[in-house]
Amino acid sequence: MKRSLQYKLDKLCSGRIHREKHHGIIHLTGHCSEWQQAVEAGLLAAKKGSRTHVVNDIVPDSQVMEHPLGSLPDLRDNSLDGRHPDVLIIGGGVIGCAIARELTKSKLDILLIEKEYDVAVHASSRNDGVIHPGIDLLPGLLKKKYNNRGNPLYDQLARELDIPFERVGQHLVFQKRSMKLPAIASLLYFNLSVAGKVRFIEKNKLHRLEPGLSDRAAFALFFEGAGIICPFNLTIALAENAIQNGAEISLNTAALSMDLTRRGKKYITAVHTNRGTIYPRLVISAAGVFAEEIARMAGDRFFSIHPRKGSSVILDKKVKANIHSVYSFLQGWNANRHSKGGGIIPTIHGNVLVGPDAVEVREKEDFSTHRDNLQAVFEKQKNISNWLNPADTIAYFSGIRAATYEEDFILEKGRQTENILHAAGIQSPGLTAAPAIALKMEKMALTYLSRFGNVPSNPSFNPYRKAPPHLASLPEKERDRLIRQNPDYGQILCRCEEISKGEILDAMRRPLPCFTLDGIKRRVRPTSGRCQGGFCAPLILPLIAEEAKILPENVCKGVPGSRILFGEKGEGREEI
Amino acid sequence: MKKYDVVIIGAGPAGLAAAVSAREEDASVLVIEREARPGGILKQCIHDGFGLIRYREKLSGCEYASREILKTRESGAEIQTLSFVSRITKLEKGFVLLLSSRHGMSNIFARSLILATGCRERTARQVAVHGTRPAGVLTAGTAQYYLNVLGQLPGKRCVILGSGDIGLIMARRLTLEGAEVLGVYEAKSEPGGLSRNLYQCLEDFDIPLHLSTTVLEVHGKERVQGVTLVKVDENLTPLPGTEEDLSCDALILSVGLIPENELAQNLGAVIDPVTKGPVADEDGMTSVPGLFSCGNAYHVSDLADYVSESGERAGRAAAVWTPGNIPSTLPVTAEKNLLYVVPQGIRRQPQEKIVFYFRCSRTLQGAILRVRLGENEILQKHYDILRPAEIEKVILNLSGKDLCSCERLTFSLEEL
Repeated sequence: MKRSLQYKLDKLCSGRIHREKHHGIIHLTGHCSEWQQAVEAGLLAAKKGSRTHVVNDIVPDSQVMEHPLGSLPDLRDNSLDGRHPDVLIIGGGVIGCAIARELTKSKLDILLIEKEYDVAVHASSRNDGVIHPGIDLLPGLLKKKYNNRGNPLYDQLARELDIPFERVGQHLVFQKRSMKLPAIASLLYFNLSVAGKVRFIEKNKLHRLEPGLSDRAAFALFFEGAGIICPFNLTIALAENAIQNGAEISLNTAALSMDLTRRGKKYITAVHTNRGTIYPRLVISAAGVFAEEIARMAGDRFFSIHPRKGSSVILDKKVKANIHSVYSFLQGWNANRHSKGGGIIPTIHGNVLVGPDAVEVREKEDFSTHRDNLQAVFEKQKNISNWLNPADTIAYFSGIRAATYEEDFILEKGRQTENILHAAGIQSPGLTAAPAIALKMEKMALTYLSRFGNVPSNPSFNPYRKAPPHLASLPEKERDRLIRQNPDYGQILCRCEEISKGEILDAMRRPLPCFTLDGIKRRVRPTSGRCQGGFCAPLILPLIAEEAKILPENVCKGVPGSRILFGEKGEGREEI
Repeated sequence: MKKYDVVIIGAGPAGLAAAVSAREEDASVLVIEREARPGGILKQCIHDGFGLIRYREKLSGCEYASREILKTRESGAEIQTLSFVSRITKLEKGFVLLLSSRHGMSNIFARSLILATGCRERTARQVAVHGTRPAGVLTAGTAQYYLNVLGQLPGKRCVILGSGDIGLIMARRLTLEGAEVLGVYEAKSEPGGLSRNLYQCLEDFDIPLHLSTTVLEVHGKERVQGVTLVKVDENLTPLPGTEEDLSCDALILSVGLIPENELAQNLGAVIDPVTKGPVADEDGMTSVPGLFSCGNAYHVSDLADYVSESGERAGRAAAVWTPGNIPSTLPVTAEKNLLYVVPQGIRRQPQEKIVFYFRCSRTLQGAILRVRLGENEILQKHYDILRPAEIEKVILNLSGKDLCSCERLTFSLEEL
């Protein structure tokens, strides 16, 4: 077995790869010509779900394009210098924010740092928003365990955070009638192994329930447990609730290095950031694609992340009438894995999402999309629907999954470093699992912190967060009442999504404020409709300038430096 | 609930003209406008060329708009600004509109309803521009707003994709304000804008126009740093190996306009797949009785003057329309070499003057327009040149014609 693996590795990279196993880690070194080969070597060396991780240091001959820590904030100040939080959470994605919120149940000093200008900028806003039943997850994986634990938590979580969540269910559509018996037989397995009940749906009923399915849909299994949510609304709501309960979130703040001492195990004494040095008792890494780099800083690198890009298309709201549940399809039958390649998903905001695909990439922050990938995404799904039309596209985007070579979550304390907890390798179904992962990390954190004395609970913890009003979804009378209190709620600035000036101002006056177009878009949706900001962006921009007390030309689309305007016209004339 | 004979949604040139003509028929009229001021998109059009037909003068968009606003105010029509139509319910004898304004929510009854909601610009996402999503990718109309209304420069080294009129106007406008326009790139093999704009905006300013070329990808993380251009074939498919990178800080798109027809669609109006506006008769009445469409919401025109004309007709017809009156229509079809002809149908009542607009499907050097009523040719008209970018107007006299026994009115273009 081992020989055949080395043979495969040798064949892959003409004998230039060295494989070593020590301390429960498989370490790959050497050279290959292309990044794809390094990934393939890592996947060959790893066993799916194994706790023996692959650390991949194979260097492709082509040059590395980006800084190992990705783009870093330009900001330099000392606002956090000398802070001694009980817990320092690195990463403001859904995982980091959910952990921060759980930890505020206890009386702790919690600091979350995020290198981007907002929370939910990477994978947490760049996914399909499906709360999965766990169809294609093998038993024994942490993914399966935390997916199934996280899924049922969503009803209460959405209520507490006051965000929309719908259990629309998922149809796993079969195209071959011959698959009927095995599918019925699999019901027993699925009913025991996924979140929520599973039913068999005959062709006639299926087409009655989902008239938008094509004739090729022969029958389906219906998974009641599937739901849809807005992943960035969720992350922002978690962050806001954590702040309300006493946690601090520092944006534009990157962990750059750590000071370690050795007392038996290694110990993190300080974390250096661009905003000063922090001296935390415990570090929790929820750094997504950069989790490996954080582990390296902490002297505790026992896994590797290989970024895997997924691209999706958002369709106009007018096609939403064609679809009532998530659909994905099975072409063949392969035990309990359905083919990678996403599905067709109604979004909680009333659009339809098609995708995502899965492409191994080298760069962790290259969110570009490409024509061929998205054509393939459509090509893949068009068989099962009779209405899917690329002409209804209003937007497309990509996200990058933080996959380990074992393709499973890592939720554990440091192996060589005492005061770090890793929530790493969080890829799909990370969104579904997030509430359960947060509970697990909270438990581990409290266990560690209890050695310094009893951790009392936070008597003023309030799990409820009130969302700002969304006028268009309110009954007429309630809407009228709010407008009479605040006339800005009556003035619509975004006509595609029917969003008022008052709602846009609200977004800038929340516990976690944001003064960028994309930040406001993630909170209240202007510029995400069919005009893609053509009409509303120029109206919102002056509001941001006024609220943030900056010049219009300093208002950014998103990341610092993404300025939209160049200042008053005519200035350039002197240059001629 | 306040009641009006005619309610018009949109106070651009179409809506304002509709209001004036409806008032001339003594109807009670309300114009609903989402923005703070009437005038629509003309408010940001500081270039001239407006009103050559309607006023026989060369006006700027703003001047044209102010004349229309003045006429509307004098007519006695009400204009309610900062108001947004949130929902429309069709009743047997009219429509109920739910409005959101700074005063609260209110309901308005309209015996007949005119949609003068204009059009929107196609975006980068709708023409498959890929790559990254930095700041600096915007539509020409948005760039025009930034420059002419906010007084801010949206780019210093600009690439313009698409040769629609707004793109051409903006190429000149940006140049005048000190920005460098590197070129206008058009995926089709023919330019999209009016001939006068090709000369006055590009040639006069030495801005190159590159045909059969499109933008494949955008580069840059914070701000646009460049684009990858690619040559395309007749089907607009990129030709591998022809990619070329160009550094710039803004990509401005002028790749087409789409009528805003969501309200019409929600009310069940039949939509024309070619014009993307509702199917309507010569008065602009859609397939929903009492619901009218005019201006760019009906079909996208090149000239504000035509938009005003279309509003006038709809306003007059909406004012005299009585519920229950559903006229029988004679279908109008566009055949050979025609992209579309509007109206898509006419009432089966002989009239002296019916205005049609058509667009050819490709450039024709010398063509004859033939119009047939049933089997009988009723019009032949010669054109020296026809371009798809330029809409043509033709007036038919159908008095004394038997419109009841024939099946259709057919337009076709014969190339010479």
